[in-house]
Amino acid sequence: MTNTIRTRMLSKSYKSTETVSNVDITVKRGEIYGFLGPNGAGKSTVMKMLLGLVRPTGGEIELFGEKLMPGSNEHLKRIGHLIETPVFYERLTAAQNLDLHAEYMGYHNKEAIGEALRMVQLIGVDNKPVKEFSLGMKQRLAIARAICTRPELLLLDEPINGLDPEGIQLMRSLFRRLRDEWGISILISSHLLSEIEQIADTIGVIDRGHLIREVSLDELRASRTDYVEIATPNAALAAFVLTEKLGIERFKQTGERVLRVYDMNVSQETLSKTLILNDVPIESINRRHHSLEEYFFDMIKGGDNHDAPRQAGA
Amino acid sequence: MMHLVKLELKKASLRGYVYGALIAYAAIAAFLLLLYFFEGSESSSPAFRNQLEILTVVNTMVCATFIIYASALLSKLIIGEFKDKTMSLLFAYPVSRKQLIFAKLSIVFAWCFANIVLGNLLLDALLLTVNSYAGQVGGELATSDLLRHVGFVLLQGVGAAGMSLLPLLVGLPRRSVAATIVASIFIVSIVNSNNGGFSLSSIVAIPLSLAAIGILGSYLSFRNIDRADAA
Repeated sequence: MTNTIRTRMLSKSYKSTETVSNVDITVKRGEIYGFLGPNGAGKSTVMKMLLGLVRPTGGEIELFGEKLMPGSNEHLKRIGHLIETPVFYERLTAAQNLDLHAEYMGYHNKEAIGEALRMVQLIGVDNKPVKEFSLGMKQRLAIARAICTRPELLLLDEPINGLDPEGIQLMRSLFRRLRDEWGISILISSHLLSEIEQIADTIGVIDRGHLIREVSLDELRASRTDYVEIATPNAALAAFVLTEKLGIERFKQTGERVLRVYDMNVSQETLSKTLILNDVPIESINRRHHSLEEYFFDMIKGGDNHDAPRQAGA
Repeated sequence: MMHLVKLELKKASLRGYVYGALIAYAAIAAFLLLLYFFEGSESSSPAFRNQLEILTVVNTMVCATFIIYASALLSKLIIGEFKDKTMSLLFAYPVSRKQLIFAKLSIVFAWCFANIVLGNLLLDALLLTVNSYAGQVGGELATSDLLRHVGFVLLQGVGAAGMSLLPLLVGLPRRSVAATIVASIFIVSIVNSNNGGFSLSSIVAIPLSLAAIGILGSYLSFRNIDRADAA
């Protein structure tokens, strides 16, 4: 079993609107999968379907290598989750809440509760009912609850909401530790790329219910396009020089006065020298790379054309 | 199953409910004693014409009180969990949802039944003892009458416990605590109201058939819960 989660053509529609349509995601065992998408893209719905809280209207789900059947619940023993806002039995204390959770999950190692509370650094709250907790504390407690039964899969929906920077840092290292030490697979959703980028091994981008792209972060970093950006008042002349004198085809005019050269075989020096020798006025010439942010923004905006090569043709 | 019931009790801090029941007993006792001493046999229309009538009135009061009490419990155990969204937490546990709900409903049913039986027992004993000293209500209480009354109370208890689930059918679709409690008061005021010594509940078939509706209705409300969207 190498895949913890696999969905095929997973869909959910409410009446006439389709919230999730034909989503295929694959979460490998022991990886952190970042589920990225704007608010309302269908991230929570997918997670709820994995938990059986929402019934898919189409497609199928495979968890831990087994197809999910309606009404089955054994797999839930192996999943920890935090979906949307953290809810608790507010009159009970943190430890009582975790104790109840462990009982319902059928997990009977009581030491794990204290350990989980220490891991999220929620200490000194022993006799306080949860209703007196701040949002950040509840968030930490919810994460403690999700991990206290030592699950094999964690579903975390926007887990850093309401946490202070220190808490965010803590959670990030905690998630990495859970992956590395316990081999837990983690599906983590966020609408913030910067969040996902720092922690995920694989990213799935979802928008308006469609999975736009699923890509490993290493692959993405390797394929990230670098380019040289030339600002010139005479773009036409510059384009002419690039093709005729330098034999460069992979460039693109992105603005009235801006050209981007994607052919990295020609050094920046040669580029500027040749342009100047051919009387192309240059305002600036810079080496840049596409930020991931830009990449995903393009992807989401591009809709169906997301795979179109970003190349050539002035 | 018992495990689920135990967990429910753990959450609900049952101690508060036990105190509540004791207070309810005390209030009913106080009311009945007032009635006994001020509307006793000396007034023109006495509240109790014989000792058996004391027992009947006690039963009516206890049933009415604990049907309403049960609706508060229903609100907390079921409707409150839906409203606080903790129900979706429960539904993501490796436990059958039907069993979860069944555990909750059986707590309400058992609570209502046990309190009705216990309340009848305690208050009957109190009033009969008081009467044996004060002697406001005369006449003998035959053993056969007493035994028949025991059977009557047990049937009434089952009827009331079943009826106590009826308000769920009103409150659940609206996820409303208020609707649940109001429905229970409505049911009580129809079934248990006493008009010149007659109330609908005294025909045992009526509470029992309402109980059947309550139980069947709750079953139907949750029949598809394992396959429905929970959040």
